[in-house]
Amino acid sequence: MNSLRKYAWIAFTAARSNLAYLGEVSSRLIFLTVILYIFLRLWQDTYDYSGTGKLGDFSLNQMLWYLTVTEAILLSGPKVSQLIDEDVRTGSFATHLVRPMSYPLYRLAMCLGERVVRFISNMFAGCLVTSVLVGPSSLQWSGFWFLLLALPLAFVLDFLGNFLVGLGAFWIEDTSGLLLIYSRGTMLIGGVLLPLELYPTSVQPLLKILPFANIAYAPARLFVNPTLTDLLLVLSRQLFGVALLGSAVYLVYRVAQRRVFINGG
Amino acid sequence: MNKFFNWLLLAGSYLRLNLRSHLEYRGAFFSQVIAMILNNSLWLIFWSIFFKRFPVLHGWDFNDVITVWGVTAAGYGLATGLCGNAIALPTLVLRGQLDAWLMYPRALLPHLVLGKMTATSWGDAIFGYAVFVLFVRPDLEHFFLFVLFTLTTTVLLIGFFVLIGSLSFFIGNAESITEQWRFSLITFSTYPATLFHGGVKLLLYSFIPAGFVSYLPAEALKTSSVGLTLITIFAALVMLGLGFAAFYLGLRRYESGNLMDLKG
Amino acid sequence: MNAVELHNLRKVFQLKKGGLFKRTATEVVAVEGIDLAVARGESVAFIGPNGAGKSTTIKILTGIMRPSQGTASVLGLTPWRDRTALAYKIGAVFGQRSQLWYHLPPDDSFELLARIYNLPKFDYQKRRKILIERFSLGDFLHTPVRKLSLGQRMRAEIAASLLHAPQVIFLDEPTIGLDVIARQELRDLICEWNKNEGVTVFLTSHDAGDIESVARRVVVINHGRVVLDDRVSNVRQKLLRAKVISAKFQEQPALLELPGVTVIERTGYSLKLEVDTVKINIEAVTSAILKAGRVLDITIEDPPLEDVIAHIYNQQKGKDSVAPLCAAC
Repeated sequence: MNSLRKYAWIAFTAARSNLAYLGEVSSRLIFLTVILYIFLRLWQDTYDYSGTGKLGDFSLNQMLWYLTVTEAILLSGPKVSQLIDEDVRTGSFATHLVRPMSYPLYRLAMCLGERVVRFISNMFAGCLVTSVLVGPSSLQWSGFWFLLLALPLAFVLDFLGNFLVGLGAFWIEDTSGLLLIYSRGTMLIGGVLLPLELYPTSVQPLLKILPFANIAYAPARLFVNPTLTDLLLVLSRQLFGVALLGSAVYLVYRVAQRRVFINGG
Repeated sequence: MNKFFNWLLLAGSYLRLNLRSHLEYRGAFFSQVIAMILNNSLWLIFWSIFFKRFPVLHGWDFNDVITVWGVTAAGYGLATGLCGNAIALPTLVLRGQLDAWLMYPRALLPHLVLGKMTATSWGDAIFGYAVFVLFVRPDLEHFFLFVLFTLTTTVLLIGFFVLIGSLSFFIGNAESITEQWRFSLITFSTYPATLFHGGVKLLLYSFIPAGFVSYLPAEALKTSSVGLTLITIFAALVMLGLGFAAFYLGLRRYESGNLMDLKG
Repeated sequence: MNAVELHNLRKVFQLKKGGLFKRTATEVVAVEGIDLAVARGESVAFIGPNGAGKSTTIKILTGIMRPSQGTASVLGLTPWRDRTALAYKIGAVFGQRSQLWYHLPPDDSFELLARIYNLPKFDYQKRRKILIERFSLGDFLHTPVRKLSLGQRMRAEIAASLLHAPQVIFLDEPTIGLDVIARQELRDLICEWNKNEGVTVFLTSHDAGDIESVARRVVVINHGRVVLDDRVSNVRQKLLRAKVISAKFQEQPALLELPGVTVIERTGYSLKLEVDTVKINIEAVTSAILKAGRVLDITIEDPPLEDVIAHIYNQQKGKDSVAPLCAAC
């Protein structure tokens, strides 16, 4: 239990030191206003054209709120893989190994602390903008709660993916290319710009079971369409994803550690 | 005319040196270029998925979106590749770094903007031309028209960046507002023009001139309209003029020294 | 024609302080009536404490800033009006402004400068060759600047500033951070260029050694005015002769009574002395110190420039010049 407290403290410290992000709300507002407004116009025309009230299970109002949440999640991601890359290249990774603390858990704690603050800031700005644009007519209180429940594991999943990319620093010189492929790739298959329901029907099943669907798509969907069954489904998928990516991280990390011991950091 | 030619030679030298400087770190340079191409390609995929589901949007199809993307990306790439310092203007003014440029025997603004090149610009430029050629498959006439429009967009963007950057002469730290403004312009420029009506449309032909950046060019390319082409060229030159005017107005303020804290 | 002529130069800044609603405007006088004439081929040290008006004056001289009142003429041109024309004739090496591109070899930067200054190809090649030879740049001409030592970089910087054969060159702290040898090399080069090519040198430095080696005339600025304008040899005699020696002993040192030596401070086991090197040489003083007790540490320094200036200023006001120079030591 002592170690849990230790990591919790790290997370709180990371959150505190990033409180300046709450001040960033104003610049976020302009950014979000532009893209959410454009999305609104895009989907208004699309809904008008298709003549139906719902597309892929979403009404126009739900669509906008969906995109608001995915953007808030997307924009809250702190630099995980870059930090690991840097730690490995500068050699400070080795010093972390000496400490009585798990490096991955340390990074996770810091990431979560920072991410929570950033997400709150983004969500606040996003809610403001979207309330003005379309109003909260489709929202339900259960949506907020379900989103809250789905976020922790979503953040952990995203962390694990980024951590894996960062570990690439042990084998390749510059991981920024890899990171870009990963981040853009997950944006695409994770339904950030478009709910997965609107993707070609042939790929939908595959995309929905991938862990990446549960980082942005699933929580955002829960927000606009909260059902208990969906919540349980998402949580179990997230747990599975964490187990999967977690094992991958564990294995790769062990190999990486061995590299340090052999090569001396 | 002679002066302009001389400036072109200077620009060539700067381009060479900027490129050489970036190529000192070959790996990072190429990965940044490719990163930008990948980044932009994400939107390509988004639109192809979208248009597969909804084939037409107010008369605009996939090729039309490719066109606005192509013009915007290529224009932005050329603008920040050659005149990268135009977007760094607020920072230069804030940090008093204009002084160093003032000491050269050259007209300040045309020289100053050449000083920097962003690595990612090449990614944007390559992407812009590549997608237009690959997806729209233009004939020779349309291709030349496209190239012309990438040049008008380049000129317009440089003028625009200088114009908003010159705000820093008057309001102090303009870094964040110019960044948001720039982002808004580029973002609006990559969406179909038909999405926007009324007041917003007016906005897009004035304060956020996306209309001149990509909408008019796209329309002109579709209809081979000489009128629209001329309007676009005219708008680009007007924007350049406005940028120059704002800059030199602000420079007078800078020269009187009332802008900044005293140092020594 | 003089290289530089300043008449009654005055520069006032309007500073607006305060928040959103109550903004008070204050006037700050940076330069107050400077008169100065520098002949061509002279080598002038332009010194003064921070905030004295030095940078403002130089900014006006190089055309970056316009004065509030008075006239300035550099090589017959009004700096802020004929800035471009003047730029062809002056060179500058300032701390914050490097002419050399960090990631590229000096040679590439030279090429760009030739283009910027519109140097005819033949002139450029000839000039480049001379500079490479005289500044010994051959060894690292093709090495990226980031890999050069500070001494090499400064040599390349100054050579770059001379590429377009300027008639006046402004140097701001050119030897700062350099080791003793590099420092001397650089000073010699500047001197050589001043004497052989007749380039007017305008030097700003806090280093007394720079001033003594490079300049023949020193102009001291304080509170926006010229408080001293004299030949270095005179000033050396009058003011740059003081040294401050601080010594720490293992026990209470014996009393030191020497001509030309004033005790500034005496606490416990340490001693601080001001030495008039005209009246007594350092060797004599240090041997006396070493004899006064077991020495743990000994430091020999120049008195801070601010004190020198304050001293000059006080002298100008007719105060007693016997008082120790190092008032705030």
